[in-house]
Amino acid sequence: MAATSQLSTDHLIGIKQITADDIHLIFETANNFKEVINRPIKKVPSLRDITIANLFFENSTRTRLSFELAEKRLSADTINFSAASSSVKKGETLLDTVNNILSMKVDMIVMRHPAPGAPMFLSKHIDANIINAGDGTHEHPTQALLDAYSMQESVGDLQGKKIVIIGDIVHSRVALSNIFCLQKLGAKVKVCGPPTLIPKHIQELGVEVEFDLKKALEWCDIANILRIQLERQDLRYIPSLREYALYFGVNKPLLDSLDKEIVIMHPGPINRGVEISSDVADSDHSIILQQVENGVAVRMAVLFLLASRR
Amino acid sequence: MDVLIRNAKIIAPQASLNGKQMDIMISGGEIMEIAKNIAPGNAKIIEAKGLHVSPGWFDIGVQTGDPGLEHREDLSTVSAAASAGGFTGIACYPNTDPVTDSKSGIHYLQQNSRDLAVDCFPIGALSEGCKGKDITELYDMHKAGACAFSDGNHSVQHAGLMLRGLLYVKAFDGLVINHPHDETLAANGQMHEGYVSTTMGVRGISSLTEAIMVQRDIELAEYSGSRVHIANISSRESVEKIRKAKTDGIKVTTSVPALNLLMDDSALTGFDSNLKVLPPLRSEGDIEALKAGLKDGTIDIITSNHVPLEEEAKKLEFPYADFGAIGLETAFSVAYSSLKDSLSIEEIVDKISGNPRQLLKLSSIKLEKGSKANLTLFIPAAKWTVAKNDIRSRSNNTPLIGKELEGKVLGIINGTNVILNI
Repeated sequence: MAATSQLSTDHLIGIKQITADDIHLIFETANNFKEVINRPIKKVPSLRDITIANLFFENSTRTRLSFELAEKRLSADTINFSAASSSVKKGETLLDTVNNILSMKVDMIVMRHPAPGAPMFLSKHIDANIINAGDGTHEHPTQALLDAYSMQESVGDLQGKKIVIIGDIVHSRVALSNIFCLQKLGAKVKVCGPPTLIPKHIQELGVEVEFDLKKALEWCDIANILRIQLERQDLRYIPSLREYALYFGVNKPLLDSLDKEIVIMHPGPINRGVEISSDVADSDHSIILQQVENGVAVRMAVLFLLASRR
Repeated sequence: MDVLIRNAKIIAPQASLNGKQMDIMISGGEIMEIAKNIAPGNAKIIEAKGLHVSPGWFDIGVQTGDPGLEHREDLSTVSAAASAGGFTGIACYPNTDPVTDSKSGIHYLQQNSRDLAVDCFPIGALSEGCKGKDITELYDMHKAGACAFSDGNHSVQHAGLMLRGLLYVKAFDGLVINHPHDETLAANGQMHEGYVSTTMGVRGISSLTEAIMVQRDIELAEYSGSRVHIANISSRESVEKIRKAKTDGIKVTTSVPALNLLMDDSALTGFDSNLKVLPPLRSEGDIEALKAGLKDGTIDIITSNHVPLEEEAKKLEFPYADFGAIGLETAFSVAYSSLKDSLSIEEIVDKISGNPRQLLKLSSIKLEKGSKANLTLFIPAAKWTVAKNDIRSRSNNTPLIGKELEGKVLGIINGTNVILNI
C-alpha cells in the first residue's frame, strides 16, 4: 500500500528526485489503469481539459506512442512536436521554443531531449508540469517505472531481488533510472558489459560490476538487456557488433546452461542477434511485450498523479 | 586630486611596513607620505572599518572579447570589472577575433588600453590563430611587449609544438602558459568525472585529463630548460606532480582559479550551466589538496579564470553551454572565503599580487614615498552578497549571484585613477 495519495513532486525529471512512496503510489495507480485499458471501453475522463504537449527533440517511436496513447486514454488534449536537436540548437533556443508552445496554454509537457539535464533546465524557467521522456544519457524515469512494475508482476516484491543490467551502461539513461528505481525498491543491482561501456564510478552508486556475462546471469533473478546504442556513441567503444554479440549477447544455449530460470527484459527496440537472440526475445522467459503494455498504464498513472497536483 | 587613505592596515608581505596601521597621502598619482595621522588638507578621504591596503593586485590570465567579441567584454568593461575586483593590472589572453598572434595585435591592445584605470598586458598567441599547429613570431611579439605566450583557453594538444615554443622563447627567457587539458581524454566531457557526474549521466572530465598534460609540460620544461606556467589546475594529482617537479628544480609554476577553491562538483546536480567551467569544479578532496598546495608554495598564483560569455552561449541545455564564468569581480572574495582559515592575508595577497607580477617580470610595486600609487583597498572581514545589478563586466555568467562572500574589495588606486565600489 502506498503511504501517500499525492506525489512529492510537480515534475517527473528523474527517479533520483522521487521517493519510494512515490513509486508505490504510481504502481498502485497503474494497477487501476491497467484494469481500465483492458475494458471494452478503454477511455476515462480523468484529464479532460488538460492540454499536453509532447515535445520530441530526438527520435522515438514506442515512448512517443505510449505517452500519446496514455494521454488519449485519459481524455487529454494533445499536441505533438518533433525536431532534430541540431536545428533547435542552432536556431531558436529550447526555452524560446517551449515558451512559444506554452503561450498556447499548455498544462503539461512530455519531453525527450538529447541533452542530459534539459528537463530540469526547463523546469526552472517555465510553469508547466514536466515529464522527462528521456534526456540524453541522464534519465528515462517512466521506462524505469514500467520496468520495475513489470518485474514486480513477474517475481513479486523486489526487496532483495537480484537484477543485472547488461550492455551499454555508460550511454544509457535506462540503466541509470533503473538503478535508482530498483535500489529505492530494495533490489540488488549489478551491471555487466564491456569495460569501455561501464562508467568508471558506477560502484559508488552501490552497484556491482561484472564483466563475465555467464557469471552475471548465474547471479541474477532478472536480466534487463539494453540496446546497444550505436547512435549515442560518438567514439568507438566496442570494436564491432559481431564481437559484442559473441561475448555479451544473451542467447538460448547460454540460458540453458544456467541451473535456474531467469526473467528476460529489454526496453526495446531490440537488435535481434546482437544483444539478444531471437529465440530468447520470443521465449516464455521474456516479458518484453508485457513491458510495453505496462508502459501505457504506468504513464497514465504518472500523468494522472502529476495533473492532480495542478 | 589628493587622496588620503586613513588608518589602513598595510599588507605588503616583503615590506617593513607590513602589518602597520597607517595613513597614506597620494597626490598626482604618487605616494607623498605614509605616516600616522596625516593632516588631510583638502584631500579626498578614504576610510572604512577594517580597511586594508596592499600593492595592486594582478591577474595573469583574463579572457576579453576585444577585438572581435566585444558583446562579451571589451577593454573598458574588462577594466571596470578588474578594478571592481581589486586588480590594477591584468594579462589578457590572445583568444580574441582575430587572435593576438602578431606584433600588430600586441600594439592594438596596448594602444586601446592606454587610458584605462587598469593596466592591460598582452599575452601573445603561442600558435598561429591559436590553432595549435605552427609557432607565431614570438620574438617579435616579445619585443613589442608581449608579457608571455599562450594559446589561452585552447590547451596546446601537440607536444611537439609546445616543445618548439618552449625552446624558441629560451632566447629571451620567455614564459609559456598552458592550460592542461588533454582533449582526447576529455572526449567531450562536461564536468568532473566522479560520483556526481555518474548520477547525472553527464560525460566526465577525469583528473587524468589534466594530470597527463601536467606531466607532459613538466617533462618539456625540464628538457627545454625554459619556464612553463601550468595555468589553472584543479586536481590533487596535478598538485602532487608539480610539487615534485619543483623539488626537482624544474622551472615550473602553477595557478589555481579561485572558484575551484570554493565549490566542488556536488554544486552541479541542478545542471546550472554557470557552473560549467574549465578546469571543472572537482571533488572536496581536490579542494583540500589545492589548499595544501597554496599553503606550501606549490601553487604560486590564484587566478580569476575570467571567461565572459553572452546569454546565448550560456542559457542553454547543459551540454550545449560553453565553458566559463566571469571571475574578476569576485576572485578575491571567493578565494578569501575559501582560504581565510588556512592562509594568512599576506599569503593570499602574495598569490594575487607579488607572485604573478614576478612571474611576468613586471616591476614590483613599492609602497613608499615617491612611488607611483598602485594600490588595492579591501576589507577582509566584510561580507557581501553578489548582485546581478552590480556586475561591471559586460557578461553576467557567474554562478555566484545571490551568494554571500567574505572579503570585500573597496577599490583601486592606479596612478591618478581612483576607482571605488561605492
